[in-house]
Amino acid sequence: MNRRVLWVGLALSVPLVAVLVANLGRDPRAIRSPLIGRAAPAFALPTADGAASVDLTELRGRVVVLNFWATWCIPCFEEHEVLARGAEQFADRAQFLGVVYQDEVEKVHRYLERFGQSYPSLLDEGGQTAIAYGVGGVPETYFISPDGVIVEKYEGALTSRALSALVESAARHGAGS
Amino acid sequence: MSAALLALALLAVPAGGNLGPPQGAPLAGEELERETHRVSALLRCPVCQGLSVADSPVDLARDMRSQVRELLSEGYSEEQIVEYFESAYGEFVRLEPKLTGVNWLVWLAPLAGLLAGAGVVAWALRRGGAPPAARPAGPDDALPADEHLASYVLKARELAYGWPGGARPSEPAGAGTEA
Repeated sequence: MNRRVLWVGLALSVPLVAVLVANLGRDPRAIRSPLIGRAAPAFALPTADGAASVDLTELRGRVVVLNFWATWCIPCFEEHEVLARGAEQFADRAQFLGVVYQDEVEKVHRYLERFGQSYPSLLDEGGQTAIAYGVGGVPETYFISPDGVIVEKYEGALTSRALSALVESAARHGAGS
Repeated sequence: MSAALLALALLAVPAGGNLGPPQGAPLAGEELERETHRVSALLRCPVCQGLSVADSPVDLARDMRSQVRELLSEGYSEEQIVEYFESAYGEFVRLEPKLTGVNWLVWLAPLAGLLAGAGVVAWALRRGGAPPAARPAGPDDALPADEHLASYVLKARELAYGWPGGARPSEPAGAGTEA
């Protein structure tokens, strides 16, 4: 074979193959949130019972665990108990909030009546808050430090261990360490 | 949704709260709809396979289109809107990557490939275009010792090259070796 053709072919194909191989096992959707390390987008949303509203800026000084969920989401159901227990365990330093994602208010009411709630669930009509947080599916949970910075994003059903570790991490960030 | 709930829903922080002041003119009517479609087409639906926000039927894309429409109606520019979504979803949300850093490769690689391909074709054409008669005489013109086999070779040369009787026509170089 002509040596020049061989070199040109290698020069063209080797970088392409290298890029393909380097990304072979990578999930293209598993992209680190650009919001991590940045100020959490502000919001003021009504609670599901319509009795009040919650403004994120008024929660400065506490860790905020912001959980996007829906009644039609099985992993959300699976982590419900974990979040309920966590809200009680960390009640002294963390505020847990649920944000309902693409759901119907009546279904949310029925769900909360049946399974209980130990922290407020908020309605995000039009999904603006979910979009501001870059939510692509549920459940997704954001851990916001006491100084209002997103420390971590967790996709999927939370475990008790992960929840504890991430609340501690968010609390440490707020302490300036 | 009850009236009280609707009123509370309106408490939500307006879209684009962290975008700074709008850099364009507020749009309305047909122009707003046209621009909504155009700007939505620049955004990738985060939960779809290669669909733009303009083309996707899923709820998230519908909400994103609504937000694009709202931002345009408030006077936000295309770049401000795309950057707003990028700040939440990352550069992934741009259907066309920005022309910075390694992204240049995405734009230039197809062009480079095209040029390289054209070069290879041109080279191959130039190489293959040379007339067979220009091939220098050499040991290829020799015939097998077996007379029977040699007659077939001569016949094949006559058919392939048009040489009368299978013998290379006499040239100044004096190539014809067999009779």
